[in-house]
Amino acid sequence: MRRLLKWLLPEDDRRAFESEQSELYDARRAREGDGPAARGRRADRRGLVMRLVVDRVKRSASGAARDGGQRVGATDRLGQIWRDLRHSTRSLARTPGLATTIVLTVGLGLGATTAMVSVIQAVVVSPLPYRVADRIVLVRTQHGDNLYNLSVVDYRAIEAQQTGFDEVAAAQLISVTATVGDAVERQRARVVTSRYFSLLGLTPVAGRLFDRSDEHAGGRAVVLTSAYWRTRFGGDPKVVGSSFTIDGAPHTVVGVLGPASGPLEHDIALFEIEDWPTPTRKGPFFLLVLGRLHPTASRAAAAAELQAISRRLFPIWQSSYQDEQATLVPADLKSRIVGTTGEPLWLVAAGVAGVLLIACANAASLLVARALQRRQELAVRAALGASRGRIIGVLLSESVVLVGGAAAVALAVAVGAVRAVTLFGASYIPRVNEVRLAGPALWWLAGLATLSFLLIGVLPAVAASRTARGAGLHGGGRTMTEGPAGKRARRVLVAAEFAVATPLVIAAGLIMGSLTRLLHVDVGIDPTHVITASLSLPAAQYATPAAAHAFWDRARAAFLSEPGVAAFGYADSRPPVDADDINNFDLEDRPTAPGEQQPLCPWIAVTPEFFGAAGVVLERGRLLDERDATASAPPVVVADRAWARRFFETEDVVGRRLHEGGCATCPWTTVVGVVSTVKYVGLDKPDEGTIYLPIGDGQRDRFLVVRTAGPASTIAPTFRAVVHRLDPNLAVSRIATIDDLVTSSTEVPRYLTVLIGAFGLAALILSVVGVYGVMAHFVARHTRDIGIRMALGGEPSRIRRMVVLSGLRVVLAGVAVGIVGAGLLTHLMTSVLFGIAPTDPATFIGVSAVMILVAAVGCALPARRAANVEPAVILRDA
Amino acid sequence: MARDALQPFELQVLVAALRIGDDAYSVPIVIELEKYTARRVSQAAVFIAVQRLEARGLVTTRLDDRATDTGRTRRYVRLTPAAKKLLRETRDLQARLWRGLDRLIDRG
Repeated sequence: MRRLLKWLLPEDDRRAFESEQSELYDARRAREGDGPAARGRRADRRGLVMRLVVDRVKRSASGAARDGGQRVGATDRLGQIWRDLRHSTRSLARTPGLATTIVLTVGLGLGATTAMVSVIQAVVVSPLPYRVADRIVLVRTQHGDNLYNLSVVDYRAIEAQQTGFDEVAAAQLISVTATVGDAVERQRARVVTSRYFSLLGLTPVAGRLFDRSDEHAGGRAVVLTSAYWRTRFGGDPKVVGSSFTIDGAPHTVVGVLGPASGPLEHDIALFEIEDWPTPTRKGPFFLLVLGRLHPTASRAAAAAELQAISRRLFPIWQSSYQDEQATLVPADLKSRIVGTTGEPLWLVAAGVAGVLLIACANAASLLVARALQRRQELAVRAALGASRGRIIGVLLSESVVLVGGAAAVALAVAVGAVRAVTLFGASYIPRVNEVRLAGPALWWLAGLATLSFLLIGVLPAVAASRTARGAGLHGGGRTMTEGPAGKRARRVLVAAEFAVATPLVIAAGLIMGSLTRLLHVDVGIDPTHVITASLSLPAAQYATPAAAHAFWDRARAAFLSEPGVAAFGYADSRPPVDADDINNFDLEDRPTAPGEQQPLCPWIAVTPEFFGAAGVVLERGRLLDERDATASAPPVVVADRAWARRFFETEDVVGRRLHEGGCATCPWTTVVGVVSTVKYVGLDKPDEGTIYLPIGDGQRDRFLVVRTAGPASTIAPTFRAVVHRLDPNLAVSRIATIDDLVTSSTEVPRYLTVLIGAFGLAALILSVVGVYGVMAHFVARHTRDIGIRMALGGEPSRIRRMVVLSGLRVVLAGVAVGIVGAGLLTHLMTSVLFGIAPTDPATFIGVSAVMILVAAVGCALPARRAANVEPAVILRDA
Repeated sequence: MARDALQPFELQVLVAALRIGDDAYSVPIVIELEKYTARRVSQAAVFIAVQRLEARGLVTTRLDDRATDTGRTRRYVRLTPAAKKLLRETRDLQARLWRGLDRLIDRG
């Protein structure tokens, strides 16, 4: 502040102000006390600086006479800038079309890029919003490239034996039926160990979180999330200590989690305390295990310790788990949460940045043309003594005004885009609720706006100032053609636009090709006549397998008596990405070598009627029947065609035997039939086969599978009505036709295609507008030359060809550079592409051809104007 | 002309300086204005107003490095004849404008 004052005020004035200020401070301190007097002094000092700056700028801008010396120097420059900015604003207002185009295109690019930076910052870059997030690790089982969750056996062993973590916790994701008053709802919940919250550093907003005492109290304590507490209990603090029914049994609310939680708590309604039974075998593997590294422990030391625990566990549980190579490892929690979302986000960010670059190049090209049109005005300024710096200043101030306007548009676009992403991206972008348009994003906007200013402003200013200095005042302007520098600058800019647009359009082409292939994948079940829903029976009411079996039988009968229901069955999973159980096995005829990993595939538990209801066709052997589900029956399964081909190619698989879960001491399981292939692990994943086994009577979580006579969606209301009639305390959830499930599984690729496609289209349009602009300007400037050529017998077709080829030369150069760039960049898209190579020649050639063709159309319009020139008119007017 | 018209705050500073007389500088002007307006007055605003008035030839200023009472540096302000003429004109114009309106405005 003192330095600023020194710059703004002559020495005498500054001394007088400071002295008088301290005098007033003394007077005020005596009257009002220290605090107010000091605050007043600070405000006065700030106020003086602000007022001096504004006053001087205004005064120098209006050219008011002042006394000379130091007062003029620095502030005169400010005044000059102020005058230039006002002049530029007025001058741009006279060409509103040009100004609006630049402000909107650059503003859109800037805003979208800023929004994407905010999203990437929040989702990919920022640490997880947990206390000491850098020390929290996820413990996983690793075999080769595969990583799995842990079992209760693993967790108990880590908890008892490790020393590298100061806290360890485990969590299991489940669905529960919560009954609050009359409302019966399915909710997502986590079963957690007592240290879960303290490990993550989470705190309650009411009541308390779990502690050791809850662990052995029968698992009836629950903690609510803030969101669920607000929506279901109206944020009533009295709910702490009260009970409500979860899965048919009363549970006591011990506390409410604070709103400042992280992605692991997102979309969760409540937490139950763990009450896992003592395991009798190594699996199943359903636990998310977290450890917080001790401040002095390294990740490498923790890894070594986990490996030692794995080695100690193996011989103890070898009878139910033979995979000796599988090892417990520390893994990165953030990578697990963010998953593969980072790559599409970077792709979208690259897309918007590309559009921004093209918009800037386009704006620069338009401004070069504008500056050249103003050559005479600039030449007058130069003749009157304006230095080259002054002329560049005048031209740069236009870019400042334009980029300032674009930045304002960008702010609005970024606010809207971030809001849209948080609203629509919630289901497929993790951590999206952490996205904010805050400080760092605004610094990015400022930085990008500065970069845009340099891209837009510098080239036109330098090119035009050079020609302005060189040009005389002669000539009426109409005969002038642009100088070689300006012409070259515009052509280079247009070529650069095509060089950036080509990879973008190729990326759009690749991703569209990928989506088309994905949408043509056959899921294996009739998508329009099969509808499914999830139903869970509470353990409290349906404690025995017989009780559950009786309900499932009644439900089947009730559904089959409904009009429009053609067939009905049960399964524990749904296509195309909902396989509940991915299990390993060992084939009798193809045994896994010791130390090797056993093969894996989805194991889908079904009732015999499932096949008819889903339309899965028997190809060899027999289907499962009622007797297979009984406990005394020998274990049998049905495999699908892809499974049969994977292990036995063309040989018959009926009668082959395997050990489920690799359990060597268990009886053999026999394959009794082969059915048509269904996708259970994703449309984009290769067919590695599926095994169907009889669903157990006691299984209380099932999907209802209904084949309908008419369109499947018309049956949706029947689900709730039928189930409510059978038991009003049950909640049907996740009702969806196979078509719905396929659509939702392709949501991310579809959004990505729309986004990248839109960027590609925007890039193409901007580039073509760019080449059109250059060629139209070229024709306008050369009208007289063209007229003379025509008068001397030039053919209109040759004139047309000349103009089009002249434009296409620029386009071809840009596209060629773009193809090379695309070749280097598209391999980064491998993870988001399905069924198409990142260097797919057909896409590269097709996209380039389309770009050249569209550019040729862009050049053809000015070419036609050139060919229609009337030589007589031109020469008469000359 | 609007450009030549006095801003209300500049007018207040001129009147305060006139009232204070030979000892007018920013501190007594601030205190005087706070007394009459019953509002906090910014010393920076007074300082700037004085600069503007000086640029328009309405006041002259004199730097005193050793003011007799405190030994501090002060810039004393004195009204020029042009300022006194402008104040007279402003006062007369105001008086003419308000003539006969007391009854109307006081009646509420």
